[in-house]
Amino acid sequence: MRWGVFFFLVLLMICAPIPLASQTSQSGGDFAPSDAVIPPGSAIPKGVILVKGAWASASDSVTPVPEGGGVNGNTFRNQYFGMTYALPKGWIEKYQGPPPSDTGRYVLAQLRPAEKLNGSLAGTMLITAQDMFFTPLPASNALQLVTYNKDNLQADYKLELATTQTKIGGRPFVFYAYWSPVAELHWYVLATEIRCHAVEIVLTSRDTKLLESLVLDMNQMGLPAEASPTGGRGGGTVPVCMANYANGPNVISRVEPVFSDRTFNPVPVRIIVDKTGKVKHIHFLSAFPNQTKAISAALTKWRFKPYIQNGQPTEVETGIMFGNAPRHMSTRADAGSVD
Amino acid sequence: MIKRVRLASVSLLAVLIIAGTALAQTDPGVQSGNRGTGAALSSVMSDSPSGILAFFTDGQTRFQEVESVSGGANNGLGPRFNENQCSSCHAQPAIGGTGAAVNPQFGIAGSSAAPKDATPYFLSANGPTVEARFPFFFNPNGTPNTNAPNGGVEDLFTVSGRSDAGSCSLPQPSFTLAGQGNNIIFRIPTPTFGAGLIENLDDSTLLNNQAANLRNNFGIGGTFNHNGNDGTISRFGWKAQNKSLHIFSGEAYNVEMGISNLLFTQDRPLPGEDQQQTGLPSNCLNLSGNGYPEDVSNPGASGAAVLDDVSAFSNFMRLLAPPPAGTVVLNGQQVSQQTISQGASLFSSIGCATCHNSSPGKTQPSNVTSSLSSQPVPAYSDIEIHHMGSGLADNVSQGGAGGDQFRTAPLWGLGQRIFLLHDGRTTNLNNAIEAHQSRGSEATNVEENFDSLSTQQQQAILDFLRSL
Repeated sequence: MRWGVFFFLVLLMICAPIPLASQTSQSGGDFAPSDAVIPPGSAIPKGVILVKGAWASASDSVTPVPEGGGVNGNTFRNQYFGMTYALPKGWIEKYQGPPPSDTGRYVLAQLRPAEKLNGSLAGTMLITAQDMFFTPLPASNALQLVTYNKDNLQADYKLELATTQTKIGGRPFVFYAYWSPVAELHWYVLATEIRCHAVEIVLTSRDTKLLESLVLDMNQMGLPAEASPTGGRGGGTVPVCMANYANGPNVISRVEPVFSDRTFNPVPVRIIVDKTGKVKHIHFLSAFPNQTKAISAALTKWRFKPYIQNGQPTEVETGIMFGNAPRHMSTRADAGSVD
Repeated sequence: MIKRVRLASVSLLAVLIIAGTALAQTDPGVQSGNRGTGAALSSVMSDSPSGILAFFTDGQTRFQEVESVSGGANNGLGPRFNENQCSSCHAQPAIGGTGAAVNPQFGIAGSSAAPKDATPYFLSANGPTVEARFPFFFNPNGTPNTNAPNGGVEDLFTVSGRSDAGSCSLPQPSFTLAGQGNNIIFRIPTPTFGAGLIENLDDSTLLNNQAANLRNNFGIGGTFNHNGNDGTISRFGWKAQNKSLHIFSGEAYNVEMGISNLLFTQDRPLPGEDQQQTGLPSNCLNLSGNGYPEDVSNPGASGAAVLDDVSAFSNFMRLLAPPPAGTVVLNGQQVSQQTISQGASLFSSIGCATCHNSSPGKTQPSNVTSSLSSQPVPAYSDIEIHHMGSGLADNVSQGGAGGDQFRTAPLWGLGQRIFLLHDGRTTNLNNAIEAHQSRGSEATNVEENFDSLSTQQQQAILDFLRSL
């Protein structure tokens, strides 16, 4: 009897499906059960960027950020820059632009006619911003940036109109135009400065009449009072902006961030310092999550001398470049200065 | 009367079809003429310095050797692999290039090379030669776990059942389910012609070029990937994740062929086997019987033969000349040089060359051979990584490159490439250009400029591209 039980147990052990360690390990990781079925809604959606590299983020979701605007309905709005613009009839933003670059470049909107004409696109309108704290180009304001670009046009282009002052929406802009004889395309470039960013509107078309009508249409654009190719230093309802405010005696107490991982990318950061000298808001133009965490932890410990304007403590916005890559932010003494 | 009307309608339809055909620009397709691609740099051909030509030919020979698991002169393959020979993947239009018209991977499963394996669903006889990656690990029930990024290479084949692989038995990754979950992406081989020039660009040259590029009015930013060890700019691979040709060779030998070497000294498990489980089973280790690394230098040999395979491969790629430009034939007619020049100028004018720079600068002095010294690098790349938008994003992060960032693909040699974009999804230049615009892409405005051109102008750009 005992032998019978023993043999029965042995038989069970041989015949029963044994959950071997190797079989168990074949679920998850690189393997799925052979009979697995993907339930509806569990597949990764197409056309979604789930794994992001260095990306833009902010310490709070209330304070407007430059990349926070966009086209809604037929109107472009950007609260950070105080801009509104009703799109020309039939124009759309088909594709939103990329995230900000670590050189401080933003694509705020890229507009085009919804329909092609005889298979060809009639033109495009690109609204960009360049953070003047982080441009590697030798320019301290929008006028200098535009002049530099105009003076260094690539060989394919011919200047059509040298830089000239104009007004868009009642605010001063600098305007120049160039064209490509081989492509028969014309570029009209309008620029001003807002909150220490060179805001550019680039119109492109083969049809100069269309471009002229688009420039006229721009006059309905809503812009802040500070907008100016040589001004644009904030103030009023937004903080004043000032390059290099996070240097020298303005900083009373400073703690360097401790990074848990070295990725060597430049990390441009804009901060708003409140009237008491504390960091009120942090905007990362381009950073990995671990960098965001380390820099946030450090900046909350920084203390600044309150910025005084007209005898009153005033909020100030400035830029700091963190990270290990061999690149430098603008160090011109007058860059973004309010004085 | 009715008959006449019908005839008229047919004629009108025919005219419309012909007119429609004439209106659209056409990719001239892969140019078949022998352009001399695959030769060594001129100073190497002159054997300057003395002995370097032997290094090149030795590397070229080893690049074509078929590896076995054990036994014979060339072993160490597996236990997982995508191919058993470098030149199987790097074949078009010459040894060192990209994937060929006939995919050598298609016949591997079920053959003596991988007798127990099934052919993954995405391989086809005339499709692209690929490696596969799962952006995310599976949950135990087979759904993608988007909280667990993977991104590593999932080798297509195993040595299970091979006569030279002992008792090693491994399952293939769950490709079919990954496909159902949209949890699989592909990469095609990057061509290596002229790679020594790219390797010999100093960081300062690339940084200065980046600053010059920022003058553009197309909304293009761009950044660099960096080597995690010394922080300098990395430059090889679809995301510029590899610093040097040596690293590139060593990683490929390890990942694509399963051969451990002086740079990557262990046999490579799948990403999940290594990160979530217990690595490779013991009966799949040291299958060559020689110990590790499987590829080492050869102290008893002399001349180039003393080198390990990885060094020989990197020598070969470093000393390959850039792919020469050539003539273009469209619909049986040779395209005029005037049209090619017009296309080049248009390519630059509309902004393509902001990233696809005709040359990002000159190389630094070379201690290898004079053809790598102070030379322009007509790669049509800035070596930067750019956001390419949701349409091209593969949700794989490598080094500092995120799921939507890719190195500007060097376009030299494009005229003789068959499969285009990082995953070989198209063979048509029109589709490849169109794919540059999507939500979040830096290239949308430039692509729209292309759309603003006349058909003749667009045709000239396509002709120019196939001349490269």
